[in-house]
Formats: sequence, structure tokens, C-alpha cells
Amino acid sequence: MSIDIRNISKRFGNFVALDNINLDIASGELLALLGPSGCGKTTLLRIIAGLETADAGQILFHGEDTTDKHVSERQVGFVFQHYALFRHMTVFENVAFGLRVRPKQTRPSESEIKRKVHELLELVQLDWLADRYPAQLSGGQRQRIALARALAVEPKVLLLDEPFGALDTKVRKELRRWLRRLHDEVHLTSIFVTHDQEEALEVADRVVVLNKGHIEQVGTPEQVYDTPASPFVYQFLGDVNLFHSRVHQGWAEVGKGRIAAPGAPDAPAIIYVRPHEIDLSRVASGDALHGEINHIRILGATIRLEVDVEGHDAVEVELSRERYSEGGWQVGETVFLTPRTVQVYTPQA
Amino acid sequence: MAASMTASRSAATTEARWVRWLLTGLALTFIGLFLIVPLISVFFEALRQGWGLFAASFTDPDALSAIKLTLITAAIAVPLNLVFGVAAAWAIARFQFRGRSVLITLIGLPFAVSPVVAGLIYVLLFGAQGWFGPWLAEHDIKIIFAIPGIVLATVFVTFPFVARELIPLMEAQGSDEEQAALVLGASGWQTFWRVTLPNIKWGLLYGVILANARAMGEFGAVSVVSGHIRGMTNTIPLHVEILYNEYNFVGAFACASLLALLALVTLAVKSFIEWRSARLAEEDRRHATEE
Repeated sequence: MSIDIRNISKRFGNFVALDNINLDIASGELLALLGPSGCGKTTLLRIIAGLETADAGQILFHGEDTTDKHVSERQVGFVFQHYALFRHMTVFENVAFGLRVRPKQTRPSESEIKRKVHELLELVQLDWLADRYPAQLSGGQRQRIALARALAVEPKVLLLDEPFGALDTKVRKELRRWLRRLHDEVHLTSIFVTHDQEEALEVADRVVVLNKGHIEQVGTPEQVYDTPASPFVYQFLGDVNLFHSRVHQGWAEVGKGRIAAPGAPDAPAIIYVRPHEIDLSRVASGDALHGEINHIRILGATIRLEVDVEGHDAVEVELSRERYSEGGWQVGETVFLTPRTVQVYTPQA
Repeated sequence: MAASMTASRSAATTEARWVRWLLTGLALTFIGLFLIVPLISVFFEALRQGWGLFAASFTDPDALSAIKLTLITAAIAVPLNLVFGVAAAWAIARFQFRGRSVLITLIGLPFAVSPVVAGLIYVLLFGAQGWFGPWLAEHDIKIIFAIPGIVLATVFVTFPFVARELIPLMEAQGSDEEQAALVLGASGWQTFWRVTLPNIKWGLLYGVILANARAMGEFGAVSVVSGHIRGMTNTIPLHVEILYNEYNFVGAFACASLLALLALVTLAVKSFIEWRSARLAEEDRRHATEE
């Protein structure tokens, strides 16, 4: 089912949580709402679910206005950040809850409920935990039960609030791959909220980057990563080096070197370069930036070098392990830096 | 549980042996002198002249009527308290509204006010010379020196028990589970019965037991509004006082032993609830670490 979000605004006192949000979500899509804490992503998700009411605007499910529909009538599946499993019920009863509270006419028979719950528990691969209580499960298991419970009511939309936020890194990675596979199987329109760019880029079909109640960019993971629409998106999606400079005839000067900025107008500019998109060399070339290595950090598969660049602060450079050992870089060495790809933003005066 | 706590404590934070013995000894002596000896003496005095007289104290019509009135009062006051307490705790724990902190303070008021004052408030309102006195007299409704007054005073003094027990519990639990129930299509009523109530039931029971103990044992407030009419408006605590003033020690202590017994039962149930929730929490921890 498609979802249209039209002119949604929400304030909490003086704080603007959402400022005129417009967004179309296609049927069967897996969408990530990505942003730092306080950007309004969870508020937007809760408004879609009906757990929060917008001050202005509409939410349309499949073209039908649901703005005034009560949360219990919206037929959404919601997975809470801290799972919100019913602590006094077994896993089985948790999953069965949505079926048991239905009005008599539409409530499935006991054997039907049993069949359905076990089917869902098999889907999340936890059938063997049916008689346990939530407190007796690990975080990852609780999250999967919460998902099974949300799916039991056959929702038209699945909403997940920071679904992997409270889990440790390893479980998190497993679960997000699992969620992606699950989505490919059931093809339910799904929206998940996250502050982890890696998670959004890995799992989602499309990513919506939110900042201070505004949408900064909407696009596929490749689009938002490779062609960020704003400095905020660039900074939020991964590490970045910033150069404040002035563009003059297509070049931005930094110390003795300069960075190519073709097509940029002559004006003060901010230049963004990702740490892994910088080449290091011991030989000076015409435009390269001059610097001195002052720190080398080994981060597993990649090596991060901190280089003091003339006329600038420290610049971070990331090399693969192979290229690092080929170069044989040492602290204190003078090096020349050439960015492979840059992004130039000219702030509007 | 206490044993596991001392066991896990390191030597660096443990006091010298003699300090521990001294403090423990002091505490035990204090408890013995002020709690256990009086409790034993109540039963000792009651049974001093044999089981016959002890049993006879309860067959006395006045005593029977006092027991009956106490039970009626508790039977009205405790359920009222339960409904009010749940409603107030729900409102306070789940919603942010103007006057929320005032409501919290007001709920605690009966604990802060002397029970005698609580009784006097009702005399002032409903007594013959009170605000509503003439109107009540006209319509032939008796509140003061009658059962309604006793119930009112009891409701007032037991007001905070359930609410105070539930507010911190419900605040700690949060409303996530209730929201989850609503999203799953449950109505507000279904959410309350299937999610909210099961989560607070032990806290609720705890509050109800304490409220019941107070309702049956209240003296001050009830004494002011009761009028001490024998066989009519005497509760057990008031009956004990009358018997004692008449030098009927066996009777007084026999009835007092009934109240003491109630206290013991209350304590036992209270300990059971605490023990049970501690055990459940312990079990959950064990299961969770087994994963």
C-alpha cells in the first residue's frame, strides 16, 4: 500500500519537530528515515502510525485520508525501539494478541490462531521459544518476536522505530540483513527510522535524510551517498574533511596547493572530501596539498592517517591495509595529498 | 537475597566484626523491645484467664457488632480506594496536564494530616452545626455519629495507599506496552484489562492490603465521627478503647489480638508478594543469561 505524506507539521511547545513534510512512499517499498536525534524522524513515524497527531497536514494510505482514523483502526504494524513486548504474556500470547482482541465476528478460531502464530514464529525462526516470557529472551530474539507480533495482524504498512538501536553491533548486522531478506519475501510497505547511516544505506530501497524537521534529501542509497544534496547530507553520511576556501576560476586554494572545483562560481566555498578519496604521494605534483603525517591509527581493515596540511587543520586520510603497507608511511613524513573526488558547496550569501 | 548481597560485598567495604555485631545487636534489641514484646503481651493478656473468657469476648453482641461494622467499613472503603487509586495513578503516570503536581500533593495529604483533623473536617461539614447539617437534618439523613460518617473518614485516611503504590510503578513501566496494544487493534478497555491491569496487579494487591489494614485499624478519624454508640457505631479499635477504660482487660486484649492478627496476616501477605516478585525477577535474570 502506498503512503502519501502531505504538508505534515508538528510542534512541541516552541520546538518545531516537523516543518511541512511532503513525501510519497510507493507500495512495497522499504524506506529509511535517517537523521540525527531530534530531527523529527521518530515523530514522523508515530504520526504515520497514529500514535501522535500532526498539527497540520494529511496522511494518505492508498490515496485515502487516514488523518482522523484512530491508531487501532489504521492496520499498521509498529515495532518499538525497546520492543514493548507484553511482559506478563508468553511469546505465543504476545504474537496472538492482535488476533485475540478482534471483535467476535472477525476473530479467528483458536486453532486458526494457533496455526497462524506458529507460522509467524517459524518465519522469525523462533518457534522453539513460544512458551518463554519476554524477560527470558535476548535482545535480538525480543526484536524478532516484536516483529512477528506486528505482522500477526496482517498490517498494510510496517513501521519500525530504531529497530536495531538497542542491540550490539554483531546482532545488529545479522538482523538487518535478515530484515532485508524478510522484506523481499513479504513485500510489505515498510518504513524504518534510524540514526545509523550504514544501516540505512545497507537495508533501504530509498533513504530520506531528515534534519531539524526538514527533508534534506530523498534518494536511493547510491544517490544520497554519491551526490549529496546538501553539506548536511555529506557530513551525515560518513566521515568527511572540510576545506574552507574561495573558488577562483575553477580552483580553490588550500595552502600552497589547490583543489579543482570545475564549474563552481567565484565565491567563498566549502569543499568536502571523504577520507578514503584522497591519494597520498611522496612526490610533489603541481596542485597537491602539502602536509605532514602526525598520527597513524589502525582501524581493522583500514588505516587512518592524520595529516597536518599547510594552511588548514588536520586532514584525515583512509587507506586500505595493502596500500598502507605498499606506501610504508611513517609519522613525521612530508606527504602530498590529491583528492580524487570533491564536492564543492557555495553557501548562499 | 540478603545473604547473596553480603557475599558479593568485598572485604574493603565491610566493617570490623565487632561493629557489625554491635549494630545488628542494637537493631535486634530495639525490635524485640518495641515490637515483639508488646505483640506477645497482647496475646498473653488476652489469654491470661483462659480460652473460655477469650472466646466469650467475641460472642458478646457489642463485640460482634463492632467486628461487623469494621468489616462493612473496609468492604466499602477498600474498593472505593482501589477504583480511585487506579484512576488517579493512570492519570498521573500517563498524562502531562496542568495541575498534575497539585494532584500528586493532594493524594499525599491524608498522610500528612492528623487523623483527628480528618474526622473533624467531616463533623464540620456534616455535623448538626456543620455546613450541610441543617439540610441533612431536614431530609432525615444521618452522616455524623452513623455509619456513613465512619466510612467517609476511613476513605479519607486510606486515600493514598493504592495510588501511591501504583504511580511510581506505572511511571517506571512506561506506556509502550499500551501503545503496542492499541496499534495491534485493541480498544482502550481491552488495553486496560489485558495489558495495564496484569502489569500492575501485584503493586495493586500490595496497596489494597495496606489500605485494608489501615481501614480496619483506623482509630483517630473514626473516633471523632463515630459518637461511640455501643452496638451501633463502634468499630473494633473503638470497642477496644471502651473495654479498656472499663477495666475489662481480657475483652480489650482479646479484641486487640484480633487486630494484631490482622497485622500479622497483612505482613505475611506483603512479604509473600515481595518475595514472589524478587523470585520472578531472579528467574528472569537466570533465563536471560542462559542464552
